[in-house]
Amino acid sequence: MSTPSPPRGLPIEISGLTKHFGSVLAVDHLDFVVEPGRVTGFLGPNGSGKTTTLRMLLGLVTPNAGRATVGGQFYRDLPNPSGTVGAVLEATSFHPARRARTHLRMVARAGGHDEARADVVLDLVGLTADGRRKVGGFSMGMRQRLELASALIGDPDVLILDEPSNGLDPQGIAWLRDFMRYLAGEGRTILVSSHLLAEMAQTIDNAVIVSHGQLKAQGTLESLTAGVAQASMHARTPEADRLCAVLTDAGVRFRRLSVDLVAVDGMSPEQLGPLLATNQIVLYELTNEGADLESIFLSLTAGLGFGELAQPT
Amino acid sequence: MINAVRAELLKMRSMPGIWVCFGLAFPLTALFVWAVFAQAGGTPGHTYSFVQTLNDRRQLLGAGYFGIQFLAPVLGAICITSEYRHKTITSTFVLVPRRDRVLAAKVLVTAWWCVLIALLSLVVVLALGLPWNAALGGVTSRVTGQLGAVVPGLVVATVLLGLFGLGFGTLVKNQVAGILLTIGFTFILEPILVLLARGIFHYDLNWLPSAAAASLAGSLARGGLGGNHDAATHYLPWWAGGLVMLAWGLIPLALGYYTTVRRDVT
Repeated sequence: MSTPSPPRGLPIEISGLTKHFGSVLAVDHLDFVVEPGRVTGFLGPNGSGKTTTLRMLLGLVTPNAGRATVGGQFYRDLPNPSGTVGAVLEATSFHPARRARTHLRMVARAGGHDEARADVVLDLVGLTADGRRKVGGFSMGMRQRLELASALIGDPDVLILDEPSNGLDPQGIAWLRDFMRYLAGEGRTILVSSHLLAEMAQTIDNAVIVSHGQLKAQGTLESLTAGVAQASMHARTPEADRLCAVLTDAGVRFRRLSVDLVAVDGMSPEQLGPLLATNQIVLYELTNEGADLESIFLSLTAGLGFGELAQPT
Repeated sequence: MINAVRAELLKMRSMPGIWVCFGLAFPLTALFVWAVFAQAGGTPGHTYSFVQTLNDRRQLLGAGYFGIQFLAPVLGAICITSEYRHKTITSTFVLVPRRDRVLAAKVLVTAWWCVLIALLSLVVVLALGLPWNAALGGVTSRVTGQLGAVVPGLVVATVLLGLFGLGFGTLVKNQVAGILLTIGFTFILEPILVLLARGIFHYDLNWLPSAAAASLAGSLARGGLGGNHDAATHYLPWWAGGLVMLAWGLIPLALGYYTTVRRDVT
């Protein structure tokens, strides 16, 4: 992960945030802080309250309790809202008959920004050639880029992105990843919600993991992965039956994943390697699966229990 | 607030529905210009004559009103319902988090576009009606001399009809329903209610939107061209018609603000 630049962003503070929709508790006393100069992933399964939390932060949804602030102020009280916070919420919120550049000029006007910014942000997101096209003819990926351009029109210190990689092709996802890292490198605060965990693992510095509207864990990726008690080695061998017998004799926990693949839990490569050599087990492949973001996420959101560092802070 | 108004102006300008309304204003105005000359000459469609009475001269200048009284509420309804239809209301409220300012900007912008469509209809009348009247033997200056008496009522009535559409649209949110209900209420349900009130209760129901706007628009909306308004109707004084029409716009707008606009945008 990159070393953060001196921040020009503002912290996002969520404190005791709670929201009911009728009898459904969407967000349940949520507390976390997003620091400037880092990309923070806001992760959780569908229906875990991510979008509702972001909408409360932006003043679109009124919380039943708690506070969601940017730099200590409610969004609606910011003197220059779109110059402070840029938001990417949904890639479908465009008038289909409006041209991309006209849409951005309108966004610039509403925020009190120079309309010339429309061309700047079109260039930033790689849509200059499509600026005069009507948005109705845009692909989902192009709409995501346009939404991002709208968010950047006021050159904001804080960027909030709700599932921004939806509809993007692999090239677009790679572009978005680099773009977010570039913006965070300038010191901006980046909060990005997603359920694409493999993608997020390559992008984010910090993670906030929620499930059923509750905070399950937050911290740096390193602290979260280090806190997971169960690492796993995957051994591919033509002698899987004999390996299982050896592991049983040694009192080691394992799982038979396929005919030739065995997952050995709770052992490091330094411990497992000598055991295999002593018993002269032929090995085709030995990989350290460790604890990745996906395993953390699945464990946390399934309520399977975690190490100390993975607990909410 | 100024930023919100400038953004709303551009937003409206870049919506095809606005230009459809403006496009329809041309043939509708031309149609009613023709109707004025037909009426001045006797039986519609048979004999044409130049406008001779004061009432006919004013009706010629305000011929566009009969078309734009349908179009102005649609303009107002589109202004708000298109936001919900295309889900742009989310980004609108993110860009301008003070929702009262958004609605205030929409009131001003609806009024602006209604003024424009009223003036456009006047231009069509002047371009078509005056030469035609002169060709039939009429004196142009006698018609243009009534501009001061016609234009204020035409413009204000159009603006208030637009605000009525905006208020209705704020309550309804659905674009198709908003447009159909606005027009249906004003030009289908209202005449039925007026007839029933007069027939059963011997009461002039002259405070509903179309009649209230007609009170304000004065002689433009009365007489043979009105369709909905026969000579037996006792209209409100022009100022009372204006206030009633303002209430028809602002009350649904306020109700819509408290019941719809302030709600969570999920």
